[in-house]
Amino acid sequence: MNEMVTLQINGEGYELSIAPKKTLLEVLREDIGLTGTKEVCDMGSCGACTVLLDGKPILSCLTLAVACKGKEITTIEGLKKGETLHPLQSSFIQRGAIQCGMCTPGMILSAKALLDEKPHPTEIEVRKAIAGNLCRCTGYVKIVEAILAVSRGE
Amino acid sequence: MRLPDFQYIEPKSLEEACLFLKEHNHESKIMAGGTDLLPNMKQGIFKPKYVVNLCAIQNLDRFEFDEDRGLWLGALVRLRYLETDPIIFERYPMISQAAGEVGSVQLRQMGTIGGNLCLDTRCYYYNQSDFWRKCRPMCIKMGGEKCNAMGKGKKCFAVLSGDLAPALIALGAKIKLLSTRGERTLLLSELYTGDGAKPLAMEPDEILVGVEVPAIPKEAFNVYLKYRIRRSIDFPLASVAVMLIIDRKKKICHEAKVVIGAVSTKPEELKEIKELLKGKKLEGSLIEEASDLAFKAAKPIANAGSSPSYRKRIIKVFVEKALKQGMGESI
Repeated sequence: MNEMVTLQINGEGYELSIAPKKTLLEVLREDIGLTGTKEVCDMGSCGACTVLLDGKPILSCLTLAVACKGKEITTIEGLKKGETLHPLQSSFIQRGAIQCGMCTPGMILSAKALLDEKPHPTEIEVRKAIAGNLCRCTGYVKIVEAILAVSRGE
Repeated sequence: MRLPDFQYIEPKSLEEACLFLKEHNHESKIMAGGTDLLPNMKQGIFKPKYVVNLCAIQNLDRFEFDEDRGLWLGALVRLRYLETDPIIFERYPMISQAAGEVGSVQLRQMGTIGGNLCLDTRCYYYNQSDFWRKCRPMCIKMGGEKCNAMGKGKKCFAVLSGDLAPALIALGAKIKLLSTRGERTLLLSELYTGDGAKPLAMEPDEILVGVEVPAIPKEAFNVYLKYRIRRSIDFPLASVAVMLIIDRKKKICHEAKVVIGAVSTKPEELKEIKELLKGKKLEGSLIEEASDLAFKAAKPIANAGSSPSYRKRIIKVFVEKALKQGMGESI
């Protein structure tokens, strides 16, 4: 039986009637149409579905949407302000840290969570923070450089 | 993979949860972080009628430290908290290490200590989709007659792959279980049956509400070492938790607790090493003898990554490493 839930996503409230079995990932992509968050392994092993829940990175494929009442959800779509991209988004584009783009939304949100907690991390700290986000294309070098560049204010 | 249909229950108190579970225990699964339950449900391993989410219950994530009494960790304390809390980092570094080695940042943000201690056992031949498992006979853990990993046998060899269990057993932790019949406390080591098919000595309507970790001397050495192929996400393929109370000047070991994990159906405390090292000077040949005992005690089979022989050898290397580290040697 469906449940009525209000989800706070990127600062907006969405009132929905959803089945308990729907994960946050499914609701974001299918019910709301925010397809920036990607479905890759759907099992908790790749991090592509990462979103921020009250500022902390979690896997939306393993989160029930009905369990997200009263929490602030941030997806990749919530990062830009008006038409201005978030510094992490610009840095990734400028430094070639995006190839196929599937890992990118989750990767950027993990990086954002790190920089919000630790604005000037070391390289090891960056690598540990994104260790839950797999990338099959880039080899991570440019991704790490892009994140460190933002931390240095470049 | 989609989750099967279920009814979602969100009790607001422990009493409500216990009453519900008493009524519906065989049709329910408890959920905290969901990082173990939901993948298994997606693979069609569990299809519970009810999923009972404990996260709305107040105070189940209480954390308390007292110099004399030690730690109280509510079952819903997140692994990320255990990894980063400065008191735990300073006084029980093994808990910080073990929690910090679980999965990834996201999984630690969602995962809880209760969930990690109650992790279902795992096997390459079991943790697969419905479609994959239909290609083989039903294994013992699924209610069948044969172990698919061994190709024979009446016993289930699914591995207890939790990271926190070996560490907390080495620290002498106790757990509190609650049901409508009341509360009971037992040593964490008593929770694990050693039966891969039914790994936990808990009734279906019992809830793990918290963990008590006794106070340990400030100078006690404790370390958790985890072997996995990648440095993130993976479950352990072999792990060692060591707690030593030693006089570093005289190099005498007053107490040694060595627990090996991920190489059997439950974490094993190696009491023979405890006996071997008690009151003795921890030197080369004794450390070698202790690590040999650990090598003999580790009995992995080919139902997880790496190879059983490599995992056995890693156990020996880790015990040696941990004991040397305890003596202050840099390795």
